[in-house]
Amino acid sequence: MIDSLFSWIDDRVALSRSGRHLLDKIFPDHWSFMIGEIALYSFIVLMLTGVFLTLYFVPSSTPVIYHGVYAPLRGQTVSAAFDSTVNLSFQVRGGLLMRQMHHWAANIFVGAIVVHMLRVFFTGAFRRPREANWMLGTTLLILAIFNGFLGYSLPDDLISGTGIRIAFSIMESVPFVGTYLAYFLFGGSFPGTAIIPRFFILHVLVLPLLIIGLLAGHLGMLVKHKHAQFPGKGARDDNVVGSPLWPTYAAKAGGFFFLTTGVTALLGAIVQINPIWQYGQYYAYKVSYAVQPDWYMGWLDGALRVMPSWELNLPGHMIPTVFFPAVLLPGLTFNLIYAWPFIEAKLTGDTAEHHLLERPRDKPLRTAIGAAVFAFYFVLFGASATDVLANYLSLSLNVVLWAFRVLCIVVPIVVFPVTYKICLELRATPGAGQRKRHNLVVRTADGGYTTIAAEEYPGYVKAELEPVALDEVDLVSAMAAEGDQGTEGVYQIPRDYR
Amino acid sequence: MVLALALAAVFYAPRHSAQPSPSRRLGSAVLVDARVPNTSAALAQGRTLYDESCSSCHGTQAQGSSLAPNLRGLGSATVDLWVSSGWMPLANPGVQPARKPSHFTPSQTSAIARYVASLVPGGLAIPTVDLKGASSAEGFSVFALNCAPCHTITGAGDALSNGIVAPPLHGVTGTQIEEAVRTGPGNMPRFSTFTVSKQQLADVVDYVTRYVEHPDSPGGGLTLGGVGPVAEGFVGLFAGVGLCVLIALWIGDRNESGGESEPGHGDGGHGDGGHDEGPRAETPEREVAHA
Repeated sequence: MIDSLFSWIDDRVALSRSGRHLLDKIFPDHWSFMIGEIALYSFIVLMLTGVFLTLYFVPSSTPVIYHGVYAPLRGQTVSAAFDSTVNLSFQVRGGLLMRQMHHWAANIFVGAIVVHMLRVFFTGAFRRPREANWMLGTTLLILAIFNGFLGYSLPDDLISGTGIRIAFSIMESVPFVGTYLAYFLFGGSFPGTAIIPRFFILHVLVLPLLIIGLLAGHLGMLVKHKHAQFPGKGARDDNVVGSPLWPTYAAKAGGFFFLTTGVTALLGAIVQINPIWQYGQYYAYKVSYAVQPDWYMGWLDGALRVMPSWELNLPGHMIPTVFFPAVLLPGLTFNLIYAWPFIEAKLTGDTAEHHLLERPRDKPLRTAIGAAVFAFYFVLFGASATDVLANYLSLSLNVVLWAFRVLCIVVPIVVFPVTYKICLELRATPGAGQRKRHNLVVRTADGGYTTIAAEEYPGYVKAELEPVALDEVDLVSAMAAEGDQGTEGVYQIPRDYR
Repeated sequence: MVLALALAAVFYAPRHSAQPSPSRRLGSAVLVDARVPNTSAALAQGRTLYDESCSSCHGTQAQGSSLAPNLRGLGSATVDLWVSSGWMPLANPGVQPARKPSHFTPSQTSAIARYVASLVPGGLAIPTVDLKGASSAEGFSVFALNCAPCHTITGAGDALSNGIVAPPLHGVTGTQIEEAVRTGPGNMPRFSTFTVSKQQLADVVDYVTRYVEHPDSPGGGLTLGGVGPVAEGFVGLFAGVGLCVLIALWIGDRNESGGESEPGHGDGGHGDGGHDEGPRAETPEREVAHA
């Protein structure tokens, strides 16, 4: 009955052949290849929780009197956006959990993109033919950061309002066109009433659509190129060695989705994030201290803080301090990321196709550059908390600020040679980073003791399998014969296969 | 325009001249404290405690010295605030005093304050907190406007410039809040009744003691110190992404391959000759199931 239904459907939509095709995809096995999935799954969590939030959120700056359950806000004039966010937190069943999950998932989403990007960078996975996908991924990162900032701004609370105020000033600092840009986006001067509805439609419609579209392209290119792989297990540039999508990766990915969701739900349930009822409605004349943006904008905040107040006085036009850390720096950063595959190809003269990944230690220069640049941005992120750090360390704020000014120059300079030397050391030391063998203390027949290295670790199974070469006929018929039961194992297919 | 200015001048001038000076208003604001009767016995106790714990720096007649300021005419509110919050006696001269458990009981503190105030009249007396009719909503609004710029909106406190700290407001009493607002300890501004009215101050006390210190505040989980998104970012990155990466490490393959990518290296010490030396403690059985 069910079989005949399936075959009826399949006769009409003809999915089984191409579906089979997809299910047979071989993916190389390594845990670090799964980091990008965290971003994908947290994006799904973002969409699910986001849809829930849109059911209750009112994207409007219209002033209303708060009449909800939180006593210290009762009777205050707040915007409809703030009012509805507090109400969905306290008066909608599960609302606060959903809102906190949404916010945590956003933090994890951008974080996973960055970690995934680091993996791609340090293993050289961006090289030809994957330069375009690297650039696509970078665009996704930028969109994710922007969308995170928009979402952070929507509740219209005291802290996010301060963030929008800073964003307005950053836009104004762009030479010549800045004021026009800012007034265009905000529909007039700050704060106005247009910004919440505009941010809302960008946040829930425009940017998510762009992200979904580019994500599809990102994954499509992954399927097209087939995943890059580490050498070993018979992996070469012209083949793919790994496990099939069905059942191995379907099970792993499915489980991973639920576990990622679980982590998000756990954080949403036990760790408070963005308690806007404590912050209150944003008014341009109210401000709190200890205000920072979410972490993915934190490096920009840090750059603004450490930047000395230098202005560029051109004839007839002054370029303010804000321009350099908040416009020039991110512009340079992302353009450098976009251009890196081509810069490296130019430097090394290597323009060949690569499907085999490199271990970071085997490319000491790239690894050292990457580590130094990453360290620079990490220091800037730390600098976004100068006041909080000064408070917790009982230091003068000025001392902490100057420390960060020095650190953001010194740390990359130190990290670069240290990383470089570590790479060289690791390369020169066989077995570095691997578990040491046990030493066995053995008592000899005449009562003496001696130490010998154990042959193997306890429980260690030396399972070096030669990958099984498959061709199309083999795999499909084998699957059919086994009823999808026995396809686990290491497989090898030619890279230009299908 | 000129007419408007003239009108404004006429309107404002008599009002200003008619107002009593802010300090006189402050001084007459509250004079009653029910905790300790103003008896000679209490004053004698205050004198003893003052002589024992304060006089070595502030002088026997509270006249001050090269080490410490003159307290004469300051009023009992200031003394009560500094002693009850544990700022005085000072642990480390030269730095901003930190909150610590007070050396004295409330009645002892009050006795010291009264004794110092009795030396020279004037200043602000220890206020009596009256929260009848206080509105935490109004207090929240006043707090956001006047207190949050330094103490932060969550009351967690923060570092200001040059080593000055706006202390956290957790665990402060209503009396201490009123004393601090009206007397302006250290670098904190003094808020007169022109800026924060008596009713507004009661509202702030109501808000701070009930919501900033969170006995009535709704949850959402661990508060991470109430210091804003940097702490949240660290949790998101290290707990959130970190946990997910650990899960990937658990689910995924941990085989460290790559031996082939280091020609000329690494074949010295190991006799196995294989290119895969990595531990595979949890590698699943990789049986190839079909021919």
